[in-house]
Amino acid sequence: MQLGKGSAAAFARAGPGPSRPPSRRAGPRAERGRAGMAARAGWCCRAGLSCGALLSPALLCPALLSRAAGGTPGTPLWGRAAFSSAAAVSGREGPQPREGSVRRRGRAPQFPRSAAPPRTERMAVDQDWSSVYPTAAAFKPASVPLPIRMGYPVKRGVPPPKEGNLELIKIPNFLHLTPPAIKKHCAALKDFCTEWPSALDSDEKCEQHFPIEIETVDYVSSGTSIRNPKARVVTLRVKLSSLNLDDHAKKKLIKLVGERYCQETDVLTITTDRCPLRRQNYDYGMHLLTVLYHESWKTEKWESEKSEEDMEEYVWENSRSQENALDTLLRIKASENVRNVTKEELLASEVVKNYRNSITALKNEGETESNMSQYKESVKKLLNIQA
Amino acid sequence: MQKQYLLPSSNLMGARLAGSHGDTQEPKTNPLVSISDEPETLYKRLSILVKGHDKAVLDSYEYFAVLAAKELGISVEKVDKPPKTIERFTLLKSVHIYKKHRVQYEMRTHYMCLELKYLTGSTAAVYLEYVQRNLPEGVAMEVKKTKIEKIPEHIQKPVWDTLPQVEETEVKS
Repeated sequence: MQLGKGSAAAFARAGPGPSRPPSRRAGPRAERGRAGMAARAGWCCRAGLSCGALLSPALLCPALLSRAAGGTPGTPLWGRAAFSSAAAVSGREGPQPREGSVRRRGRAPQFPRSAAPPRTERMAVDQDWSSVYPTAAAFKPASVPLPIRMGYPVKRGVPPPKEGNLELIKIPNFLHLTPPAIKKHCAALKDFCTEWPSALDSDEKCEQHFPIEIETVDYVSSGTSIRNPKARVVTLRVKLSSLNLDDHAKKKLIKLVGERYCQETDVLTITTDRCPLRRQNYDYGMHLLTVLYHESWKTEKWESEKSEEDMEEYVWENSRSQENALDTLLRIKASENVRNVTKEELLASEVVKNYRNSITALKNEGETESNMSQYKESVKKLLNIQA
Repeated sequence: MQKQYLLPSSNLMGARLAGSHGDTQEPKTNPLVSISDEPETLYKRLSILVKGHDKAVLDSYEYFAVLAAKELGISVEKVDKPPKTIERFTLLKSVHIYKKHRVQYEMRTHYMCLELKYLTGSTAAVYLEYVQRNLPEGVAMEVKKTKIEKIPEHIQKPVWDTLPQVEETEVKS
């Protein structure tokens, strides 16, 4: 408002003085709205033109009118454009047409019609909304019978109404997906769906009948290309317990795959992305699984050289613990002057078996209360100590 | 004239055929539906992650997707809303010099994750096409499908049992 008042003063100062050159900017753009005018007001004020006057036509209409009435045929164009911005004023131009052609820059109609009432007034309350918005469409304020306001509110006012509101047009709307519309669509689509087999109602049953899981990812986004290079990755997951493997084969398979096997969940995960197509990656993954399976059943000659460091779990047979225990027992027996007992007899005896179990439990499962106490008991029995 | 229709079967073999109907009273033959003989693929889980810049749009989309799943008879496991990520960067405000004056931009990405359980291939195709066609502009989607399969024939038994006994040739190294 300050700008308007200031330029009103400037206008009053200018009076019927030397006519300013017509501003091509202010003329047709005057109708565009306050935003456009505010941007240009700065320029106009600097140039000395009172285009700022157009900011508040209500304030300055009387001034303009008086100027035009007393003006010469060579009135600057901005005066005439100011008339066209106010609808009420344009009527006055009719009875006094200028000589020559009626110069009408801009799209103001000569005989402006009143706008037709919006369609919302003719809408019934129980109409079929899915016929108004059958597909995704922009927001049309005359077709949506809702009093929606959107945008930053005017000072001490409310957000702007829906007519000519760009914010409402910009945002994607879901007017075509109301619940009755969705139900209609789904009813039509239901024929193409199939039922899940009722026998597979839990994850365990799925695991039991269909052990292999194949994971693929699809990507949907808007952009210059619909392709996504990450879409070709295929992940294959299978539990080793569901494969037909014996002890040696399972250990060999675990050694072959290395990091791809998870000990806790007993799941082998194979991720392939070396081929350009998803189907090729899937085929390659299945090929890998096949090869691993069959190779793990083979026993090579060099596998007999497997040493203690390569073992996955502790095996008591042929270990140092066995040798030491047998050695100790033999020496005890020799010192007691018992007849020669053979190693097989010692191994078959109860105490040695207890000792073996406790040692393997300690090594494989780690140190727990029960394991340690079991070890203590077995050692006491072995060495015949009464504590 | 006898009407031929597929009986709904609860065992696995019968349900493998695509397009089997449950109607025994009035088998409605939709002319657009074609039933093929190949076995149905089974999806244990379908995980749909939707990303967008506007939370309100994602909320509306979530309502739409959940309602569509319910109407089509798909069980929704859970609807998760991971926290948003904000990517910020600082640029120079001016084209030339004025290093002390910068402008900062940020991009906010909101997420919504929908997990569906136990879908057949046809149902998954129908649902995904419906939901993807109605994806709003400016929203991206990632669909993670977990397909379950039987162990193929060639992995049932080791092949060395079936191969004929071949004389081993010495490998000279």
